[in-house]
Amino acid sequence: METVELTSVEKEKNNEMTETKKFSIKSTSKGLLGRWYHLMTLGRALDEKAPNYLKQAIGWSYHAPYAGHDGIQLAIGQVFDKETDHLFPYYRDMLTSISAGLTAEEVIFNGISKDTDVAGGGRHMSNHFAKPEWNIHNVSSCTGNHTLHAVGVGRAMKKYKHEGVVFSSQGESSVSEGYVYEAINGATNEQLPVIFVFQDNGYGISVPKKDQTANRKVADNFRGMKYLKIIHCNGKDVFDSMNAVLEAKEYALANSTPVIVQANCVRMGSHSNSDRHELYRDNAELNYVQEYDPLAKYRRMLVRYKRFTEEELQAIEAEVKLEVKKAHKAGLTAPDPDPASIYDFVLPEAYVSEKYPEGTHSFTGNEKKLIEGLNETLKAEFRHNPDTYIWGQDIANKDKGGIFNVSKGMQQEFGKERVFNAPIAEDYIMGTANGMSRFNDKIRIVVEGAEFADYFWPAMEQFVETTHDFWRSKGQYAPNITVRLASGGYIGGGLYHSQNIEGALTTFPGVRIVYPSYADDAAGLLRTSMRSKGMTVFMEPKALYNDPKAATPVPEDFEVPFGKARVRREGSDLTIVTYGNTTHMCVEVADKLAEESGKQVEVIDLRSLIPLDKETVLKSVAKTNKVLVVHEDKVFSGFGAEISAMITEEAFETLDAPVKRVGSTFTPVGFNRILERAILPNNDKIYAAAKDLLDY
Amino acid sequence: MKKIGLFYSFNTIKTAKNAEKIKNAFGDAVDIDKVNVEEIDEETFLSYDNMVLGVPTWFDGELPNYWDEFMPAIEDLKLKGKTVALFGLGDQVGYPENFVDAIGILAKALEERGAKVVGLTSTEGFTFERSAALRDGKFLGLALDIENQAALSNDRIKNWVEQLKAEFN
Repeated sequence: METVELTSVEKEKNNEMTETKKFSIKSTSKGLLGRWYHLMTLGRALDEKAPNYLKQAIGWSYHAPYAGHDGIQLAIGQVFDKETDHLFPYYRDMLTSISAGLTAEEVIFNGISKDTDVAGGGRHMSNHFAKPEWNIHNVSSCTGNHTLHAVGVGRAMKKYKHEGVVFSSQGESSVSEGYVYEAINGATNEQLPVIFVFQDNGYGISVPKKDQTANRKVADNFRGMKYLKIIHCNGKDVFDSMNAVLEAKEYALANSTPVIVQANCVRMGSHSNSDRHELYRDNAELNYVQEYDPLAKYRRMLVRYKRFTEEELQAIEAEVKLEVKKAHKAGLTAPDPDPASIYDFVLPEAYVSEKYPEGTHSFTGNEKKLIEGLNETLKAEFRHNPDTYIWGQDIANKDKGGIFNVSKGMQQEFGKERVFNAPIAEDYIMGTANGMSRFNDKIRIVVEGAEFADYFWPAMEQFVETTHDFWRSKGQYAPNITVRLASGGYIGGGLYHSQNIEGALTTFPGVRIVYPSYADDAAGLLRTSMRSKGMTVFMEPKALYNDPKAATPVPEDFEVPFGKARVRREGSDLTIVTYGNTTHMCVEVADKLAEESGKQVEVIDLRSLIPLDKETVLKSVAKTNKVLVVHEDKVFSGFGAEISAMITEEAFETLDAPVKRVGSTFTPVGFNRILERAILPNNDKIYAAAKDLLDY
Repeated sequence: MKKIGLFYSFNTIKTAKNAEKIKNAFGDAVDIDKVNVEEIDEETFLSYDNMVLGVPTWFDGELPNYWDEFMPAIEDLKLKGKTVALFGLGDQVGYPENFVDAIGILAKALEERGAKVVGLTSTEGFTFERSAALRDGKFLGLALDIENQAALSNDRIKNWVEQLKAEFN
């Protein structure tokens, strides 16, 4: 259906438009004018019907009416081609979605959150219209957040020489978000065919645009950017909008550069059904926004210029009425989501290792440092899979390959198309990874999420967003990304070069988090991450990159499955559960205790925090009856709290002593080495705690 | 002087009030028809050789719907021999980036079809950033700002009408 729609547009363009204005009331074919009227009338009928579902307690508790944006929304949907383009609508884009091909039933299924909702089976909020199979993406409620995804798709289009454009649609107030600047800056710098449509209705909920930015038309804020075309149009007018969006697409395709379309709209209603615009708009304004009604204007013009008779329009209106009635009935009888399905699609399937099902080996070759394990595995995977990409800050400039040279030599071997620098913008790094991964599911992306894990915080909103995507889309989109983060202290780095952040990251469902301690595990886990679907955060204990303690023989094809801990030292008197930098300390303490007292301490290196190998931990606890949890991150609310609680809950009867924890103090990590030593765990602190437990 | 067609929306309040002032400033000696833009067709529009058009600027620099909806008709008209003067309300404080843009949008469209635009006025006394109504430092018509300079409107109208008396045929 959509192809036919767009074919008509193209036909219109080629055959009927001879002047600069390609679409006009006089030159556009009657068939197309009628189809538009049908779509606009259908959209408005649903827009006006939506609040009734809430009043009847059926659903659609969030509805942001689009009335007043009719022209531009019709145009985006009409110019979008699902065979070649990608579309990121925002929560007010009901008509955009209908114009792009969503049916009345699909809109209602989304509105009342039915299992049949094509956006994601009622998992995401109402009014978040999407159809991933048509490249109409399921986007966040964080306004403007999808601009980064649009840029990521644009990057993929360019790299794969794909003829198409990406539409990213948003309200004008969302342009106040910093990441929107990052997106547009990146799209211009990389020269990508992304069309950013700003639907300007003058308000961000109740905040007038004068409180957002100095220019009345926010697109003007971007005037200085190179390779950026800015088109202004009347978003309330069908023809001006059609001409503007088509011009934008033609320009983006011809030049492979981004375009901003700023569409002047009005918001005829409140922001949403939780807002009351009469609290902040006076009567004059409330009246004039009604005067502007784009649908009424379009209807008047159809009659005035004798393109349609009153009777013909009434016939279309009657058709729409029936269509809505039928869709409403379908909505009420559609199945609800099954509560038992909540655990489906939290994480997509991981790569299964057939050769190394336990993630262990008996290879006895030369020892390699942890950094060598990472570098060689990255290169091996890039040779194995041509659809692999890596970017980040400092990732590739001549002989430099990442802040710690983990990616050294990669750009020389794999070229600038696959190995490249990113701007100093962590959210951009993360958000464009999410976006590029949407282009096709063969792509595997590795990013250095930040120079140091401590700098990852600006990317958190994209990290959170990415953890939602697979679940929210009911498995329709898996972000296939490995996020590498150089983590931890013991380097005298202070507050932004020494911290651990996994305690915060592990609170989010939808991401795997691994934290190796040895070269072989680092190599094996990296290979598994890069072959799996979904997002994996790969924490790298940077203090161990070149430490001989972490060096091991590494089989060249080694694989470590997720959720498989490794017993680094066997024992029967105490279990220490640990990961990362502290694994080595725990092994050393265990050796010392054995030497001093003959007590045997079992050291479990978790390797994966999510998924967690509870089985190995509980089996060991059943044997030793005493547990010490050790990690470098803070004890308070650190990941060890979860391990400790799990053991207490599931193995209480087997315990002979309280579960103890050793980690950082509940302070930032100080820069002065004296402070750092006082804050981070070390052998002495671990020894004291272990001794306490052994003596308990 | 030939009869003047004074075109504006009868549904407006502020534009209508100023249209009335313009009519009065011409005095009874000049034959003026008031015409409701919301109901015009091509034939009515073409029946006057001298026209005064009321075109306030809406929102961020747009024509009002009633003029915008007539634009496709204008695009096909032959306006050679027609003399038009435009006046429009704008808000130089609230919308300094698009002050009286609508005057410029309509004036240029009429010129493209052959009309002669008269009644250009000085920008002196106004403070704004940009306007689509500017040409060679002058407005393509009479700018009125009753939101911020209401007290100046009467004199501005009086002077403009005197100018039009000389410029109309």
